Amino acid sequence: MEELVSKLSEILEVDNLDVTKKFTDYEEWDSLAGLSILALLDSDYNTTMSGKEVAAFDSIEAFCKEVLSRQ
Amino acid sequence: MDFLFKHKRISGILTVLPQKAVKFEDEMANYNFSPAKSMKLKLAMGYNEHRIAAPGQTSYDFCQFGLQYLFDNNLLKPEEIDALLFVSQSPDYFMPPTSNLLHGHFGLRQDCLCMDINQGCAGFELGMIQACMMLDQHAVNKVVLLNADVLSPKVSPRDRNSKPLIGDAAAITVVEQCEAENPIYANIKMDGTGALVLNIPAGGFRLPCSPETAVMEEDAAGNFRSKDNLVMQGDDVFNFVQREVPPMIEHLYEQSGVDRNDVDWYMFHQPNKFMLNKLADKLGVPREKMPANIVENFGNASGVTVPTSISFNLGDQLCNDEMLLCMAGFGVGLTWSSIMMKVGNLMFNQIIEL
Repeated sequence: MEELVSKLSEILEVDNLDVTKKFTDYEEWDSLAGLSILALLDSDYNTTMSGKEVAAFDSIEAFCKEVLSRQ
Repeated sequence: MDFLFKHKRISGILTVLPQKAVKFEDEMANYNFSPAKSMKLKLAMGYNEHRIAAPGQTSYDFCQFGLQYLFDNNLLKPEEIDALLFVSQSPDYFMPPTSNLLHGHFGLRQDCLCMDINQGCAGFELGMIQACMMLDQHAVNKVVLLNADVLSPKVSPRDRNSKPLIGDAAAITVVEQCEAENPIYANIKMDGTGALVLNIPAGGFRLPCSPETAVMEEDAAGNFRSKDNLVMQGDDVFNFVQREVPPMIEHLYEQSGVDRNDVDWYMFHQPNKFMLNKLADKLGVPREKMPANIVENFGNASGVTVPTSISFNLGDQLCNDEMLLCMAGFGVGLTWSSIMMKVGNLMFNQIIEL
């Protein structure tokens, strides 16, 4: 989980990512950040989601759990 | 679907680009994005400069100019052409076919088959497959494959998904019979359930253009387009490409018996640098072998990016030498297709401007 959170922090350009927040709560969240996350899922976690699905998670933590449950 | 063709070769490639070059920075203010974010977008996607047709210039004009150049320079003779294929999403008219207009303009033989094919990003591969199928007939010795698109007028200036990358261009590829066996391995797949992932909603018979279809609307990401504009579901396209293209190329290695390291160049359709680098990494191919410099220099003119990349990156080298190319196109349809073949000793391989 830590590794994934750290990669998401890089994409969203924040030092301390609050995983209870939603992606859309972050100022840096946009279509490009969304695409970067899709690319991360594809290259490092061998799974895919749509941008809409990523944005719809109630929290970043829920997103991470979903991704890791697919491993 | 797999294909194997023999005794056919590409004998020349001519790319025709509009003279007008537009810088990413000059269009940035139209996007609903801060300048800092726009610069991030530019860097990630490899946007810089793209070529845009002048008002009134159509796909036909670029093809006509290129063919005239080839005739004037004795690189092609009108009477040799047995078939003229025009692959495009931007014909001059719904009827007649644009290939027939060119046939008429140049006074080609009545024994010359004209055919328009509606295809985009995989248009070079589909066109090559169609050309080779025709060349399997004894009556057909030389096919002129025209890939052309002028879609920039259909893209909303306020759409940062598509505007920074769109380019207009045409390419003329001469495909002909030859004595050498020169096997050409090709494959193509389709998924019509994704047909509207890349789409221009209005302007056909289903939804004719009207004042209503011209109304600009904002999407969830803050892009403004009307139904007259081209729309691309960027996420879906990205996922589709990463899902389907690597297995297709793995299959092409098996089909052709070619080792990935023996391919001289991977000439892939170029939607943006980001996607191409991902593909190269996934295939375990050095990024240097898969040029990704067409979008930053000229823009993405759908089916024209593969021949443009061959003209731009290999140029005269391919007139003196022969190389093993792995080519691939993927996009609208959804369609994905790839070809493994030797290309070389070309009569011409260059870029001209109109």
